[in-house]
Amino acid sequence: MADAPDRPPVAPGTPPILQLRGIGKFFPGVIANKDVDLEVWPGEIHALLGENGAGKSTLMNVVTGIYQPEEGEIILDGYGRSFASPQEAIRAGIGMVHQHFKLVQAFSVAENIHLGWDEAPRRISARVMEERTRAISERFGFPVRPDARVADLSAGEQQRVEILRVLSRRARLLIMDEPTAVLTPEETRELFRALRAFRAQGNAVIIISHKLDEVMEISDRVSILRHGRRIATFDTGDCTPSMLATTMVGREIVRRNMRARPPGAQPVSATPVMGLRNVTMLDARGVESLRDVSLDLYGGEILGIAGVAGNGQRELTQVLTGLAAPATGQVLLDGAVMARPDPAAFARAGVGHVPEDRLRSALAPSLSITDNMALREYAIPPVGRRGLYDSRAADMLARDIARVATVDIPDFAMPVRNLSGGNQQRLVARREIRIAHRVLIAAYPARGLDIGAIATMLGYLTELRDQGVAVVFISEDLEDLLNVSDRIGVMFHGRLMAVVDAADTDMETIGLLMGGRDGAPMSARGEQ
Amino acid sequence: MSRQAAFQRMPSVPARRILIWRAGAIACALLVTAAILALSGYSPPDLALLVARSTVGSRFGMEDLALFMSPLLLTGAAVTVCNRIGLWNIGAEGQFYAGAIGAAAIGLFVPAPALVLLPLMAAAGIVAGMGWIAIPTLARAYAGVNEIITTLLLNFVASLLTYYLTTGPWRDHVTGAQVSSARLPVSIPEIWGIVHWGFPIGLLIVAVLAAVMAHTRWGYEIRVGGANPDAARYAGIPVRARIIVVMLLSGGLAGLAGMFELAGTVHRLQGGMANNFGYLGIVVAVLARGSCLDVIPAALLMAFILDAGIVLQTQQLTASVVLAITGLMLFMIAIADELAHYRPVARMKKETAP
Repeated sequence: MADAPDRPPVAPGTPPILQLRGIGKFFPGVIANKDVDLEVWPGEIHALLGENGAGKSTLMNVVTGIYQPEEGEIILDGYGRSFASPQEAIRAGIGMVHQHFKLVQAFSVAENIHLGWDEAPRRISARVMEERTRAISERFGFPVRPDARVADLSAGEQQRVEILRVLSRRARLLIMDEPTAVLTPEETRELFRALRAFRAQGNAVIIISHKLDEVMEISDRVSILRHGRRIATFDTGDCTPSMLATTMVGREIVRRNMRARPPGAQPVSATPVMGLRNVTMLDARGVESLRDVSLDLYGGEILGIAGVAGNGQRELTQVLTGLAAPATGQVLLDGAVMARPDPAAFARAGVGHVPEDRLRSALAPSLSITDNMALREYAIPPVGRRGLYDSRAADMLARDIARVATVDIPDFAMPVRNLSGGNQQRLVARREIRIAHRVLIAAYPARGLDIGAIATMLGYLTELRDQGVAVVFISEDLEDLLNVSDRIGVMFHGRLMAVVDAADTDMETIGLLMGGRDGAPMSARGEQ
Repeated sequence: MSRQAAFQRMPSVPARRILIWRAGAIACALLVTAAILALSGYSPPDLALLVARSTVGSRFGMEDLALFMSPLLLTGAAVTVCNRIGLWNIGAEGQFYAGAIGAAAIGLFVPAPALVLLPLMAAAGIVAGMGWIAIPTLARAYAGVNEIITTLLLNFVASLLTYYLTTGPWRDHVTGAQVSSARLPVSIPEIWGIVHWGFPIGLLIVAVLAAVMAHTRWGYEIRVGGANPDAARYAGIPVRARIIVVMLLSGGLAGLAGMFELAGTVHRLQGGMANNFGYLGIVVAVLARGSCLDVIPAALLMAFILDAGIVLQTQQLTASVVLAITGLMLFMIAIADELAHYRPVARMKKETAP
C-alpha cells in the first residue's frame, strides 16, 4: 500500500526468513492443518486471514514449537529446523505474542521482561533491571513504564510488554495473534507504526486477523486459510476487502431454505415482543462491550446474529435474558421496560435461554438429570408448591423433556455430566423451549454437535418460530444462519453493524460486515 | 488374544458400592491394628471383646455411645449443610465454644426456672454460634473471602476466650475446680440413663434438615447453588442470600451442640470442653458424603471410635496409639471411597454412552 517505501529492498538470492513446506497437523478427528506452504520474506508484514477454526493459530503454534507438525518441514533462512519448545523457537529468532497475554500479573514490567531470559544477568537489582528495560523500550520504540505492575496496565500496554519480551530476545520474525482485538483505535495506530519500523530493519511480521480493514492497512501480503489449508496468497495491493471476504468464507454451501413456513404456522407478529433501545454495556475494564444497540424481536421470526466470537454476543444474550443490566438504555418486554435484571422474572415472562456454555452455566454437572431438568420449573406447580419441591413431579418433568428431546436415559438419578455433549445440549434446548412462550435466545446451540444433531437443533428453532415465538439465533456459522434466519444482525466490536434480510443477502455481505466493513446496503431494521 | 483388563473411573458411585468398600476398609484397618497390637504383646481378641463389651455390648456402653453421638450429630450436620452450598465450615469447634459461652452466660447469670432457662440457653447458644460465624459469612458473601481460613482461625479465638473466662471472670469460686466455671443451676433432663434430651433432639434436627434439603424449594436452590453457582444465577436463584442463611444455620447448629454439651453433659463451662467435636464434625460430614441423613451412621461410627479409644486407654495403650488407629481407619475409608469409583472394563468392549 502507500507505505511501500518503508520496505527495505531484499538482496537477490536472500532466502525467506521462514518457509513452510507441506505442513500437516492433526488432532483426533480433526485436520487442523494440511499441505500448508508459506513463505515469509525479510521486510514483510504477512497477514494470515481465515475464519474461526481455519487453522491459523495451530499453524503458528507449529511454527513456534508449541506443537510438533506431523508432516512437512520448517525452513528458517534456508536451513531446515525443528523446534521442541517455544524457547528453541525464540532462540532461533521466532517470537509470538499470543492473543491472551502470558505475563505474570503481580510482577513489574521489568521483571516480566527479564523472566526466563537466558541473557539476563544472574544477579540483578531492580534498578538495573528497570534501566535495561528502559533501554530496550527506547531501542525498539515501544514505550513502557519499567517499574509499573503488569496488573495495573491497560491491554495495550501489556501487549507492548509482550512485544518487548519477544524483541529483546532478538526476534526477527514476530508473530501476532489478533493483536488489535483488545486495543483502542489509537493504540492500534501506535502498534502499526511500531510494526512498520520493525519491518524497516529487515525483519518480518506475521499477523493473524479477521479484520479486513486492518489487513488492508498493515500487510504487504496476505495468505488465506480455510479448513486448515492455504487457499491463496495475494499481494495486498492487488486485493479488495470484498474479494478477501469471499475467499475467506466462500465455499460450497448448501442453502437449504428453512425460512419457508409450513401451512398453519403463526405469522410474524405485528408488534415487537422484545426490544433493546440504545443499550450500552461496559466490561470489567470499563470498555464498551455493547455499544448503543437497538433491535426489535418479532414473534414468529428468527433473528440471526452473526459475528466473530467476542464482539458482544455474550453481552447481548445477558441483556436479553436478564442476567445483566445495561449500563445505559432499556430492555423492553411486551412494550414494558424491564427495570431490574432478574433471570427468574425473564423466565417467568417466557424468555428461554440456551447459553453458550451449557455445562458451565445451564447445568449443574454433579446433580442428577432430574434436578437439572427442573431448573426452570422448580418454583411452579407441579414441581414446586407452597415452598415444597416435589421430586416425583420433577422426575415426571425430566422424563417428559427427555422424551421430546429423544434422549434415551437409563437412570434419571445419575449426574447429568455422564451424558454426552450432544444429549446435554438437546435436553437444555428442550427445557428452555418449554418455558419460551415469547422469546428464545439460543447462543451457539449447534456448536460442537455433529451434522445430524445440528439439523435437529435448527429444526427446534424453526418449530418454535412456527408457534409464534421470537427466536434469536447467535452463531458463527454463516451457512446455518442463512438457512434458518429471517433477518441477520451482524455484531462487530459491540456494535450491531446492520440488520439485513436473509433472503436478499449473501455470504460476502455478511463477511464484510463481520470484518467491520460497512459495505452492504443497510436494510431498515424491523421493516416487515 | 489376551483380554486386556483395564480400570475405568466412574464419575458417580451407587451408595451400596461405597458401603461395601467402606466395610472392607474398616475391616482392613481393624486387621492392621490387630496385627500391630499383637506385635506389641497385646492380645487382639481380648481387646476386641473388651471394646465390644464396653460399647455396644452393654447398657452403659450404649449410653456412652449416645452421649458421644449427640454433639457429633449437630456438628456433623453443621458442616454438612454448609457443604451443600459448596462451602466448608471448618469453624464448628469455635461456634461450639461460642454456643457454650452464650448458654453459660444465661445459665450462670439469669435466675429463672429450668423450664424457662433451658430454652433461653438453647436460643442463646444458637445465636452465639451464628454470631461467631457472622463475620466469615459476610466476608464470604460480599467480598469472596475464603471461609475455610476465617472460620478456622476463629476457632482459636473462641477456645482461648473460653480459657480466659474459665480462669478469669467466670472461674469457679466455690469448689475451686480448675479451668472451669461454677456448676450451672440447671441441666438438660436425662431421658435414658445418662443420655440427655440432646440426643433425640439432635436426631430429630438431622431428620428435619434432611427433609428440608430434599423436599423444599429452598433445599433445591441450595443444591443447585452448591453444585454450580453460575447455573444458579442463570436460573435466577439469589445465591448470596442463600449462602448467608446456610452459613448462619451452620453456625447455629454448632452453637446448639455447644449448649447441649454444656447443659447436658459437662454442666459447667470448661476450657477444652469442645473435645474436638467441631473438627470431628468435619470428619462426620466427609463420611456422610453431603447427605444429611447419613450424618447419623457417620456420627455413630465416630462415636464408636472415640468410645473404643477410651476403653483402649484403660488398657495401658497411650492416647497417641488410639489417635493413630482412628487416623488409620479414616485413611482407609478415604482410599476405599476413591477405589469404589473404579470398575474393571474389558478393553475390547466399547462402552457406549447413554
